[in-house]
Amino acid sequence: MSATPQERLEVSISINGRRYKAPVEARKTLADFIREDAHLTGTKLGCEHGVCGSCTVLIDDAPARSCLTLAAQADGHRVRTVESLTEGQELNGLQRAFREQHGLQCGFCTAGFLMTATALLEENPTPTRDDIVETVSGSLCRCTGYQTIIAAIEQAAAEGAADTQKHDEQEGDVL
Amino acid sequence: MKTVEKHQHMDTPEIAARSVGARVLRSEDPRLLSGRGQFIADIELPGQLHVAFVRSPVAHARITHIDLSAVRDAEGVHLAWSGADAAQFCEGLVGEFAVEGCNPTTMPLLATDEVLYVGEPIAVVVAETRYAAEDACELLDWDFEELPAVVNADAAAAGVGVANPQLPDNFGLRGGASFGDVAGAFEQAHQIVEGRFYTCRVSAAPMETRGVIADYEWASKSLRVWSNTQMPHFLRYMLTAYLGFPEQNVEVITPDTGGGFGQKAHVYPEEMLLPLLAREVDRPVKWIEDRRENLMAGAHAHEQYVDIAYALDATGKITAVRTHALGDGGAYHAPPWSMAVEPWCAVVMTPTGLYDAPAAEYTYAAVATNKTPVGAYRGVGYMAGTFARECLADEAARATGMSPFEFRRHNVVPEFPWTNPQGIVYDEGSWRESIDVLESMVDYPAFLQRQAELRAQGRYIGLGLSFFVESSGESTAGSQEHGLGDVYHDTATVRLSPNGTAHVTIGLSAQGQGLATTMAQMAADTLGVRVEDVIVETARSTSHAYGSGTIGSRGAVIAGGAVSRAAGVVREKIRAVAANLLEAAVDDVDLVDGNASVKGAPDTSISIAEVATAIYFDMSSWPEDFDPVLEATQAYDTARAMFSNGAHAMVVELDPETGFVRFEKVFSVEDCGTVINPNIVEGQIRGGVVQGIGASVFEELAYDESGQLLTTTFLDYGIPTMDVSPPFEIHHIETPSKHSASGVKGMGESGLIAAPAAVLNAVNDALTPFGVVLRELPLSPEKIRAAMSGATESAAPQVVAP
Repeated sequence: MSATPQERLEVSISINGRRYKAPVEARKTLADFIREDAHLTGTKLGCEHGVCGSCTVLIDDAPARSCLTLAAQADGHRVRTVESLTEGQELNGLQRAFREQHGLQCGFCTAGFLMTATALLEENPTPTRDDIVETVSGSLCRCTGYQTIIAAIEQAAAEGAADTQKHDEQEGDVL
Repeated sequence: MKTVEKHQHMDTPEIAARSVGARVLRSEDPRLLSGRGQFIADIELPGQLHVAFVRSPVAHARITHIDLSAVRDAEGVHLAWSGADAAQFCEGLVGEFAVEGCNPTTMPLLATDEVLYVGEPIAVVVAETRYAAEDACELLDWDFEELPAVVNADAAAAGVGVANPQLPDNFGLRGGASFGDVAGAFEQAHQIVEGRFYTCRVSAAPMETRGVIADYEWASKSLRVWSNTQMPHFLRYMLTAYLGFPEQNVEVITPDTGGGFGQKAHVYPEEMLLPLLAREVDRPVKWIEDRRENLMAGAHAHEQYVDIAYALDATGKITAVRTHALGDGGAYHAPPWSMAVEPWCAVVMTPTGLYDAPAAEYTYAAVATNKTPVGAYRGVGYMAGTFARECLADEAARATGMSPFEFRRHNVVPEFPWTNPQGIVYDEGSWRESIDVLESMVDYPAFLQRQAELRAQGRYIGLGLSFFVESSGESTAGSQEHGLGDVYHDTATVRLSPNGTAHVTIGLSAQGQGLATTMAQMAADTLGVRVEDVIVETARSTSHAYGSGTIGSRGAVIAGGAVSRAAGVVREKIRAVAANLLEAAVDDVDLVDGNASVKGAPDTSISIAEVATAIYFDMSSWPEDFDPVLEATQAYDTARAMFSNGAHAMVVELDPETGFVRFEKVFSVEDCGTVINPNIVEGQIRGGVVQGIGASVFEELAYDESGQLLTTTFLDYGIPTMDVSPPFEIHHIETPSKHSASGVKGMGESGLIAAPAAVLNAVNDALTPFGVVLRELPLSPEKIRAAMSGATESAAPQVVAP
């Protein structure tokens, strides 16, 4: 299958348990689909070339750069964004740990860190400091100097805060 | 030195510290952590169109032909402009600086005849989507004739080529001054220590790039501009001054902002163009900078050479300091600061530091080059000046046979107040104490022993120190002390609701510093209410309180002072009514912990909520002639310049194989007076120091000989990552200011100001066995490897006999 960049393709993507169906240009990135079509703006774009990690989301539970993924590539897959993390109207354990450890300042990169750390804690609920640093070093932060982010993920792990409950998909078309 | 006349808006009320000093969790965080922050890219206006720019791919060229017809015909395009179109409305932004020897430049909104740097905007396109706008940019038909590019500051200063025809000799700035008998001190010196230090060109690189949205409503002539600027009120002023939009109809809105660090404290051509475009197409227009544009066209920073020399007497005391700074300013002065901000600030603000030097002389110059304009970045000018001074202090310590702690203790200012040779008065500080504290934190004897043991095993660790004095709370008095005439004052509005909770607006926009939390702490303590009962809106809109900009570590001091003064007015209203209700004298009523109580009779009290309710709904509670307004707006400016101080020590290890610098640990001492919130102060230290590590080792905006910028992605321009960032040990000293509310001082910049000197000093300490001293940033693996293999030409301290 090949399409010109402007050609429209029908995609169907589950985001945070809701199914979004829309015709999109073949060149449209998943990040732009999440932000513009699903109107979930918690996912941020810091570089749009796959380095900074701000746009990290989970595709089928694995962290991925949504700026380097086309919406069409996510067709039929499950995506989780930062908006999925809260437990009702409360911060989850990882988010709470970021707040208590002062693991964010401007908050622009934070969604990427939270999603990468979520995937880490789901896969390995008791990571060592080295595990954390190795996994999360792919994300850039310009405010904190990183130590408080490490401390936050350590705290979340110590409190067993991994949100291992993956959302069940709700049926029904949103778009 | 001229000092400012004291006005009533410089006095603040004395208050009991309850939440001030506590590690209050940030009120900003739940929104930001749950993806509910609203940053500029997240804002969508009905009917909005998208803007993209065509930027120069070459450093210096004459535009010989430009034709927009194919762009205008492209699908989805509503408007396309070249420089001539924009010039009809605005010839450009004048950049200059009010010091002797500054030659102004005018930066066009879009280049007209010549392009002067890679990334300079040439044309702008408005289209249905950003994708369509960028597609259309590709269709621009233009030709240019390349001109020789000036890419080196020394060459520019020598008059080789002309970077910008507005500056025929390339000098944007040139001046100097001398205080005391500098020539005599150098003639009589026992020894002279000197060096030329280079701070490379870097970018503040906030994680969120710049962005502007403009919406013009012709029927009421009202303009709304969303910008993630650090200076919303100044931007509004400029939109009127340059474009003629009536100021009363202009609102600048600053949404959540993803870091600024000074880069967003300018007024850029894009911010002037978007309102014009919105008016022209009669639709809202939106531009979000991409990272490549940010690295090319967001203000660059730091690049300068600083020549510094100490005259030392036979005991190793500094008898005079000479400094000369040459800044590589880029193609234009970046409004409103100019290319003076680096070299002028470096020599005027920093040469004495904490050392008791009786005489000082400085010269400064900035030259235009065909590179991106240099502007502000966290501690602008202070970084390069502190870098040169503190690295030379380490060299002087070696030259005099003292330890780096001992040399500094030998030269530190002995008592306060102290007036430096320029006439700048320092009222208080813990300059001497910070040396002792840092020495004990690093356990210097144990370090020396470990260093010797590791050297025997072929491992090379080093310890580097850097001490700073940071001008904090950018104010009218601070400006005048440094020979400028800028006037700064901010306002805040505090309103108490019937249920005793407070609503506060300040005039400063926030970029992640937690101002909404720290200002709530200041207001809560003044009003005597709980911190969670105060909500603070930072300058989300210029319709609220007035602010001179979130710059120069002024948030805590200036906004804090205004909040405290406004809350103080409301406080007196509460006390008056409480006194009436409690049948006590007003002077005997204290407001603490949510209650108004009578001093000495704590059981005689009433809650502040009850008092507020009474003021709104029960006239019988009022004293005679009571004006029931529970809202106050007050201004604040400091009566005197004020200075924070502190130091960083860094332990590094050099890898002879790879040339990598590994950062083992950072020790920081910070004295910013009264600490409002230790979490936030420590966050500023860590973040600033890691930016300093970046500027020393990992980051450089590199140009080739033709003026081509080689580092336009985060792959080429590497900011520090988690795996290279060190752990910290932080020690607070609190020497309160006598002038600010609660004794607070500003501290947002000291991390970046002082860290690079600690890095270079640590690297040079580690390199001691190789007989090499480095003086130029960045400390790239190539330079470290060369130094460790003996391939670097030694730049050992130049010790000159008189």
